[in-house]
Amino acid sequence: LAADPYTTLGVKKDATQDDIQKAYRRQAKRLHPDLNPGNKTAEEKFKEVTAAYDLLGDADKRARFDRGEIDASGTERPRQQQYYRDFADQDGRSSYTNTAGFADFGDYAGAEDILSEIFGRTGRAGRRGRGQDIRYHLELSFLDAINGGKQSIVLPDGTTLDVNIPPGTRDGQILRLRGKGHPEPADGPPGDALIEISVLPHPFFTRKGDDIYLELPISLKEAVLGAKVRVPTPGGAVRAAVPKWSSTGRILRLKGRGVPRPDGSKGDEYVTLKLMLPKKPDPKLEAFVAQWQPEADSPRQSMGV
Amino acid sequence: METQEFIGRSYLDAPTLNAWIEAEWLVPLSSGNTFLFSEADLARARLILDLKGDLGVNDEGIAIVLHLLDQLYGLRCLVRDIHAMEMSDRAKDVG
Repeated sequence: LAADPYTTLGVKKDATQDDIQKAYRRQAKRLHPDLNPGNKTAEEKFKEVTAAYDLLGDADKRARFDRGEIDASGTERPRQQQYYRDFADQDGRSSYTNTAGFADFGDYAGAEDILSEIFGRTGRAGRRGRGQDIRYHLELSFLDAINGGKQSIVLPDGTTLDVNIPPGTRDGQILRLRGKGHPEPADGPPGDALIEISVLPHPFFTRKGDDIYLELPISLKEAVLGAKVRVPTPGGAVRAAVPKWSSTGRILRLKGRGVPRPDGSKGDEYVTLKLMLPKKPDPKLEAFVAQWQPEADSPRQSMGV
Repeated sequence: METQEFIGRSYLDAPTLNAWIEAEWLVPLSSGNTFLFSEADLARARLILDLKGDLGVNDEGIAIVLHLLDQLYGLRCLVRDIHAMEMSDRAKDVG
C-alpha cells in the first residue's frame, strides 16, 4: 500500500492547494529522473511524489481521499514512458550532447589523470616517480576506427608498438598504453604511451556520434515503383526496401547498423535517398514524359512561386 | 517518425512544436522542409513538458536547463569513456 501522500509531499493535512503545488515542485525539481541521470533512487522517489501530487494536487480527488472514498494507491498515474536520460545517457553522443563544459580539459588522457586523483583510484601505484608519457599520432581509416582491430606504430628506434583499436573509436580520442612510455631513471615504473587517433574521412559514409549517414543514389524506376536494394553499412552491405514513390531526401533508418558501442549495442545508419536519372539521355523516356499529362502539381508550391 | 506521428505521440500542437524547433530545444533530423524525429526527441519533448508543466519552469529557464543538461550528459559520456579506457587498460595489465 502506498504511503500517506501528505507525508510523502511533506505537507500538513490542512495545507492549501497552493502549498501542495509548491511542495511538489520543490521535491520534483530535486527528483526528476532526467535531472538525476546517475541516481537510481531518484526515479522511485519521483514516482511516489508524483503519485501523491496526482492525488492531492486535484482538489476534487483530494476531498474524496480525505473522505476515505479512494486510497492512496488507486490513482497513480501510469508513467511507463522512457525518460530522456535513457537516450541522453547512452554511450554515444547525440545531436544534443554539448561538450563545451570540458573543452578546457584538453584531451581525455589528461582528464583521466584528474579523475583518478578525484576518485583516489589505487590500481596504479603512485604517479610520482614514474617515467614520462610519450605521445604518438595514429591515422586510421574510417572503417578501421569503427570496426576496431590491431594496428601497429613504427617507433623512431625501429621497433613497433601494437595498438588494440576498440570498435567505435572516435576522431580525436586518445588511447593509453600503460607502461609503453619513457622508462623512469631511478627504477620506477615507466610512463605511458598516449596515442592520439585521427580518423580519415570516407568516400560515402559520414559519422555523427554513433550514427552513420549515407546518401544512396537510386534509379528513377526504383524511386517510382519501390525496390529492394543493397545498402553499404560499415559492417558490410545489407538489403533494404526503398518504398515506392520515394523522392530525393527521403530518409531510411537502418537500426543497429551504425557504430558499435562499448556496451555491445550499436548506433543506427540513416540513408538519404537521392534520385538519379539514367546517365545517358534515353529518348524513350523523354518521349514518354513528353506525352505524360500529370495533374497540375508543382513541387515548389510551398515556396510561393 | 515524421511530424504528424510526433505530434500525435507528444501531444504537442504544431505551432508549439515549430516554436520549440525554432528555439533549438528540439533538433530533429531535417531534409528539405520535412523533419524526422527519433525516440530521443520524443523523450526530450516530454521532459520539456514536465519542466514547463509540473515543475513550473518558464521559457527562459527551459533554455538554461536544457543547456546545462546537455553539458551534464556530455560530461557523463566523457567520464564513462574514461572509465572504459581505465578498465580495458587494467585488463591488459592483468593479461
